[in-house]
Amino acid sequence: MGAISGPPCKLTFSARPGKLGEGMPSVYVAGAGMTRVGRRSEPLQELMADAAHGALAEAGIERPGMLVVAAMNPEEFLGDGNFASNVATYLGLADTPTVRVETATSSGAAAFYAAFAQVAAGLYDSVLVVGGEKMTHLATPRVSEIIGRSIDPYERSYGATMPALAGLITRALLARKLVTPREIAQVAVKNHANAALNPYAHFQQAVTAEEVMESRMVAEPLRLLHCCPISDGAAALVVTSERTPVRVAGIGQGTDTLAVRHRDSLTSFKANRVAARAAFQMAGFGPERVDFAEIHDAFAPFELISLEDLGLVPPGKAGRVTLDGETARDGRLPINPSGGLKARGHPLAATGIAQIVECVWQLTRRVGARQVPGRVALSHSIGGLATNNWVIILEAV
Amino acid sequence: MKTTASHIAASRCPRCQTVVAPPASYCPWHPVAMTPTTVAGVGEIVSFTVLHSAPEGFRSPLNIAIVELEGGARFVCHGDETRGLKIGSTVAIEAIDDIYYFSHLGALERARLFWRRAGHAGDRANAIARSLAKRVWNRGPRGN
Repeated sequence: MGAISGPPCKLTFSARPGKLGEGMPSVYVAGAGMTRVGRRSEPLQELMADAAHGALAEAGIERPGMLVVAAMNPEEFLGDGNFASNVATYLGLADTPTVRVETATSSGAAAFYAAFAQVAAGLYDSVLVVGGEKMTHLATPRVSEIIGRSIDPYERSYGATMPALAGLITRALLARKLVTPREIAQVAVKNHANAALNPYAHFQQAVTAEEVMESRMVAEPLRLLHCCPISDGAAALVVTSERTPVRVAGIGQGTDTLAVRHRDSLTSFKANRVAARAAFQMAGFGPERVDFAEIHDAFAPFELISLEDLGLVPPGKAGRVTLDGETARDGRLPINPSGGLKARGHPLAATGIAQIVECVWQLTRRVGARQVPGRVALSHSIGGLATNNWVIILEAV
Repeated sequence: MKTTASHIAASRCPRCQTVVAPPASYCPWHPVAMTPTTVAGVGEIVSFTVLHSAPEGFRSPLNIAIVELEGGARFVCHGDETRGLKIGSTVAIEAIDDIYYFSHLGALERARLFWRRAGHAGDRANAIARSLAKRVWNRGPRGN
């Protein structure tokens, strides 16, 4: 949280200010689809087919020019390799050029970027992006260990898992009095309340702040109800050069060291700040134009860190505005109307795409009871422990 | 008596002077080979957690800390006791068979740490045996 800090060598970017994406043709989202997130018995390929065929039907396209597949680790979770061809064949798109894209937990957003770049470069008029993960058939310690392989090997050799590193970050946030335990709990309360209105969400029930703050300790001071669940699910999008009601206004990537110990700050993610800067540069406007956002809240405090890193909330104010209801569905800046990773669920490589699906459906007024107003949506995805992050800005046109 | 790691192996970037521990071949920020150096085995707690759902191969609860070492590098290690520990607390880093722990520890505590951390019986027995052997060896020549 707060200002960009650290030695100047860590903050040099190859992107030239004002030039990013200049003169590039517009890219649109033509169709979106996703499965219900949760504990699913179907094979991952079946879930991905459901999502993909939904998105293609919405776009009115039978055969896209290209397919981009996102899956974080089907090799370990399922024992399946060559996964791009595996999915393409299952979908009935064996003749379609296909690649797989992977950036850990932000793989879905990275796959969307790959599709965006293909269309923006004029290589294809339409690209199907489909992402998904299936994990609930494995025991939790096993899933935790597999996800944890995205952590630096040395830190992992000390038993560091994603919740462990998130626990270190949460303690640093609390010690610096940047947020309070009640403010962190409110993120979970709000997102569960939103998910209760989302038929695609993993959790359909509300939780109270007391339940969150008294739930089982996972990685001190982080508790169970601060953490997203282990979920199965898939999501898909069709990206086109042909004009639709939703334009991709900006997209940006930010990266940081694999090792958390090599970073100067635990309470702000450089990968967030760089991704946001790049995305807003491409969009040609700033965070003040954003009407609502889907934020990567794998751990409740990450929503608060990210709100400030992305410039959506002034430094030091994320906890306060959350407690005041400004980020609730009826607030000034609704955050995670879908329920977020916390309550919609986090099927890894599906998540970055599912966030964009929610933004597209919100922008085109198709979500019923959880509808929020607005013309500009922001989607934010964290890969690993903030090593490979994405910000995507969508605009109703 | 203590096996405090007075020096921890590290590496320095000749371009930006960043120090990382343990040593790396290349600077995380520059495609430049790093030069070997050492940092003191003393530092300040940056943050710490007690993990109650340890991954496969570890036992819960598991103490994990990030320590800012004198000399610049941040270091990840285990610790025996977090009671009374605060961000900013000064700790010593001890190496016990290539595994680093913060604070000073006696032999019994060391053995207990091995027992708690190791996931496999073989590793446990091996680690304890090597720790005890090292302790006897250290004790012998000094005559105490």
